[in-house]
Amino acid sequence: MGRPRAFDETEVIRAAVSLFACRAYDGISVDDLVTHLGVHRNSLYKVFGSKRGLYLAALRWHLEHQVRPLLAKVTAAPDPIRALRNMFVAGTANPDMDLLLLAMVERAPVDPEVAEEVARTMRGFDAAIDLALGDGAAAADDAPSPLAYALSAAILGLRLRTRTGVDAAGAGTVLFDRIHQPQP
Amino acid sequence: MAKVYIDNDTLVIEIEGLDKLWALKSRLEIPLPNVRGATADAGVTREPKGIRAPGAHLPGVITAGTFHIDGERIFWDVRDPAKAVVIELRDERYARLIVQVADPRATVDLVEHAITRSAT
Repeated sequence: MGRPRAFDETEVIRAAVSLFACRAYDGISVDDLVTHLGVHRNSLYKVFGSKRGLYLAALRWHLEHQVRPLLAKVTAAPDPIRALRNMFVAGTANPDMDLLLLAMVERAPVDPEVAEEVARTMRGFDAAIDLALGDGAAAADDAPSPLAYALSAAILGLRLRTRTGVDAAGAGTVLFDRIHQPQP
Repeated sequence: MAKVYIDNDTLVIEIEGLDKLWALKSRLEIPLPNVRGATADAGVTREPKGIRAPGAHLPGVITAGTFHIDGERIFWDVRDPAKAVVIELRDERYARLIVQVADPRATVDLVEHAITRSAT
């Protein structure tokens, strides 16, 4: 019998999300994890199996608790297009999806399980945008409309540019308003 | 130093050279479903090792053999900490194996890909 777990697994996972969202996967050593997460090395291995095991747990938590709720809010809003604009592209929007972004760039191309998680989330993303754009037929189908696909790519790209400190104020809303002009 | 490879659905760890003597073991075979993951971990040798039984422990030189800590049994074979890989197991005699390999990154990729494949 080992020692009982002396830590809150969710707290550790949340801390891992912040760490993995701002540093390259390969740049994070187990020493870094032990220091930043405040967990004993042996417990880390016992609970998560490996650094990759912890990363997958962190990514899944991030997608489930930080990204999907944003999409759920869009689809549940009385005015989905406005919700989408406010939450993802307005100057004040600060959507929490940095780990998703980093995962797409860094881990998804080399890790099939990460690729699967990312693909599932992006399907949800596209579907929410299709719904917001009012194209219900496309949302019901598996394949997103080309416009939804392009718009989700633009949203992610804008987030990337914001992360680099480039002031892209207004860029998102301009694009968005161009695409979604009120029908005469 | 250890050689780590996959033979069908089994992870094989072969202890090479004189380390066989210190570790008192030359080969470990673990069914892939019992392998939870692998991590390159250069800092692991600074952790307390626990009680050695049996094996050799010359701090700073070699850690080899079976160690007991926190109720877990851990197999060590490490001289160069920079090349240590931690392999976490389930339902095995050892809770984890900490071995030195020639290329930690390649070993981690090998093990992680093998267990991802075997799980699907």
